[in-house]
Amino acid sequence: MTLQAERVDEVVAALRTVLADDQILTSKTDRFNRARVPAPFPVHRWAERVPDLAVLPTSTEQVAGVLRIANDLRIPVVPRDGGTGLTDGAVPLHGGILLDVKRMNRIKELDLDNRTVTVGTGINMLKLNEELARHGLFYPDDPASYPCSLVGGRIGTSGWSLIGSRYGHTRDLVLSFDHVLPTGEVLHVGDGIGHKISKSSSGYQLKHLFMGHQGTLGVATEATLKLYPKPEAELSPFWAFDDYDDAYRCVGALARAGVATFAGAVLFDEWKVAYLRRDDEAYIPQPGDVRALVCAVMYGYEDEVRPAGRRLFRIAKEHGARYLGDEISEGDWAARHDRYATPLHGRTKDGQVVPMSWHCEDAAVNYTNLPSLSRAWHEIVAGLRRQTDVFDDWGMFAYTSADTGVDYLTEIDVGIWEQQLDDRAWELWVRAKRDIAAVALAHQGSISACHGSCRAGEVDLVPDELGRGFDVMLDLKRTLDPHNIMNPGKYLLDRAYETGERP
Amino acid sequence: MTQTDRGAGGADALSSPFTPGMRDNPEELGRYVDGIVGRPLPLVDGEPGHDEPPTPEQEFAAEWRNAAYNCFSSGHKFCREVCPVMQVTRNESWTPTAFHANVVAMEKGELSVADVAADYVNCTQCGACELRCPNTLFTGDFYRFRTRTVDVVKAVRALAVDQGVHQEGWRTWNARTDERTHEPVLGDVPVSQEHVRDWSAGLDLPIGGETVLFVDCEAAFYRTSVPRAVAQILRLAGYEFGLMGEQWCCGGPAAEMGYVDQAQRFARHNLDDWRSTGTTRVLVLDPHDYISFTEDYPRYFGDEYAGIEVVLVVELFAQLIREGRLTPSVPVERTITYHDPCRLNKRKGIWKEPREILRAIPGLTFNDVDRVTQWSYCSGGGGGLPVEKPELTAAISERRMEKAAGLDVDTLVSACPWSERPLSAAGEGQDIDVVDIHELLAVSLGIEVGGTTDGGAS
Repeated sequence: MTLQAERVDEVVAALRTVLADDQILTSKTDRFNRARVPAPFPVHRWAERVPDLAVLPTSTEQVAGVLRIANDLRIPVVPRDGGTGLTDGAVPLHGGILLDVKRMNRIKELDLDNRTVTVGTGINMLKLNEELARHGLFYPDDPASYPCSLVGGRIGTSGWSLIGSRYGHTRDLVLSFDHVLPTGEVLHVGDGIGHKISKSSSGYQLKHLFMGHQGTLGVATEATLKLYPKPEAELSPFWAFDDYDDAYRCVGALARAGVATFAGAVLFDEWKVAYLRRDDEAYIPQPGDVRALVCAVMYGYEDEVRPAGRRLFRIAKEHGARYLGDEISEGDWAARHDRYATPLHGRTKDGQVVPMSWHCEDAAVNYTNLPSLSRAWHEIVAGLRRQTDVFDDWGMFAYTSADTGVDYLTEIDVGIWEQQLDDRAWELWVRAKRDIAAVALAHQGSISACHGSCRAGEVDLVPDELGRGFDVMLDLKRTLDPHNIMNPGKYLLDRAYETGERP
Repeated sequence: MTQTDRGAGGADALSSPFTPGMRDNPEELGRYVDGIVGRPLPLVDGEPGHDEPPTPEQEFAAEWRNAAYNCFSSGHKFCREVCPVMQVTRNESWTPTAFHANVVAMEKGELSVADVAADYVNCTQCGACELRCPNTLFTGDFYRFRTRTVDVVKAVRALAVDQGVHQEGWRTWNARTDERTHEPVLGDVPVSQEHVRDWSAGLDLPIGGETVLFVDCEAAFYRTSVPRAVAQILRLAGYEFGLMGEQWCCGGPAAEMGYVDQAQRFARHNLDDWRSTGTTRVLVLDPHDYISFTEDYPRYFGDEYAGIEVVLVVELFAQLIREGRLTPSVPVERTITYHDPCRLNKRKGIWKEPREILRAIPGLTFNDVDRVTQWSYCSGGGGGLPVEKPELTAAISERRMEKAAGLDVDTLVSACPWSERPLSAAGEGQDIDVVDIHELLAVSLGIEVGGTTDGGAS
């Protein structure tokens, strides 16, 4: 919280010209409950991230009105949708107005002929798909947070989808959207100006610019999405391996096979398998010689998926895979969104159960660099564990990002005992995050494939990753947000303002 | 090459994958000196003045802290889109996640019970969030853990009342309930002790006995067709039962709103009354009472409660049909869907028997929606919500009826009297009747039910 009480009154009075009273929230609980995301942060510092007030607009016009007022009064604005991101995009660092778009969750238009749907950005993908299912359609943006994350957050973070190897990721699936600039002006962003155009070469390609900015360049309010037929068949075999190396070779071969229905493959490393053994009743009971797993998933029509499955099974067998059977394969894939990371799996080194927050550090990296990067990351977390039980290694996944197997989203899941996360432990963690990001860059990767990279630690290396591109970011930020009101403090963008101006 | 044999110099036990707590783990794992964990976890942060006695909020948090952290740490929020209140308000302050996070904030001294109390009104105690929680869903059995949002909500409401922080509607409701020994439901039948059996006019039911039928306030004074249907079906099956000597409200609503002392006083009266008539079996037609009698009363009375058998009428009827003691034969020409009452489906896992009954009724076209999809359905009628926020109850019921309308049905069947009033109101706009499952079964058994479905004169 940063504003004086009188200043808050002034802001509220101004907001009343565009919002109804019940859309302006100033109570302590309203503010405290919009200060957090799942990524762990020291609980005793919670108050540092609390906004001064929250607003719940229901239209693009209202969002524009709020931003105009904030720009005039030089008040920070932090857009928040699902609040499920892991890089603090939706967390206020300097108080101000928290702009919560969850109420903008209507389906505005379903175009069955062009296969698009236009929605408010506060809608959840699972809920949207419940409606689309009646028309035999689906919107295949499928993050781990699928049951709770919302379309606007997917745009603001440029999200990554588990089945993106078949259907593309958020950037491919969102055709266009209404976007409110920090000054309150509204523009439509797509390929060209079209609402339902998937490929244009007219002008600069602005769509990518206004995705993944973590709320620093404005707010998406209404989006037009690309739809697909709801797949008739799904095949998701899980295979076990004696060691990581075989599993690694297998996942590469599966991804390179070029099977059209291939929607993704996942590699579970040895640490992940050891982690899953913590709860062998709820998880697949496996003999001790299972040390790594691979899962592949295919979507399509029955007569496409069957032969494709035969091909992938053949490849897996050539790599020493043991099929885990239909029950585990179907059950585990169906339960993919909430199967693995629960606070109850937290352990001290000698086995005491303690409630831990799940945190996930990710990177984008080429196939050939996966094993070396994984070793280096586990060693960083081992370094933390040598010092304290606040941290726990929950293993790594690697997921194909594309249909050719060129690059992978890889993540290390780290349990963090939030009740014990004091200032020293937090410092250790920030340093570890920086080290993790440095390893990704040293492996010719990118700091993040899906979360974004604006949290403490990793963010220090963003200028290194982007080089001259980071200066372009600063120039764009200054141009579009002259008073630095949009989500100030993120991505080191305060550097764009020579005087360090901050409202 | 496996990840285990990296062969780097200086590697220790932490350099290889292991599962903590396994018998054959290297002893080395127990020998690391922890630089951070190990100091006693303070109840209050080490700020100056922490020697003062803990606040009521901190004492409360000490009890609920770990339960709250299991949610707070998770941060999944998978509960959010199944929460009936969240679905209609889209307000993040009124989510299961917030209800747990507030406990953590109270422990840290950031929030007081006065700050949070009004937020906790916004919960129907339907239990959907608990089921949808990954902690319950996938690991609960192994760890014997269940997310307990409903209990947290009840506990915070009780703390608020204890600290003198009242919601005006609830305070009045409970005062009137206390005065009349029944909830002040609106309708033509005056709510008072002498009218509690008016619904049974002409049925000539005995009082007391081994088995009694407990009729909740809404059914006794407002939707009297429900108990009339139940009593006549029981009689048709030759099932012996009586009415309570002096029935008071079960006390459940008071418990749900945080008025714990009153709830326990009412419970005490009812238990004593059962004892005075030699009653050992209580038939329950209302899911809310079923929760009170199977969850609250055992907590209040412990061993003293032993020997009281609580029977849910819907389950009993399904059994009587199975045994051939009831055979619905009058065709009911309706296209229906079934509304799973939250307290049966989500809180108690009872969803099979109502469907068994409906499938036994000839003439029905049954467009069923599975019980898991119905985790996110609710009438909004529970947890005291309609007393404090009738507009939210109405919005939740409307959403529920929109789902029914999508199935092209003319009738929605429920098994919970408290859901039927708000659902009926919402049904008017959709031209869908709301019928109680007991009423429907009675019709198919050729019974002239009588009574009223809308609180009017019968």
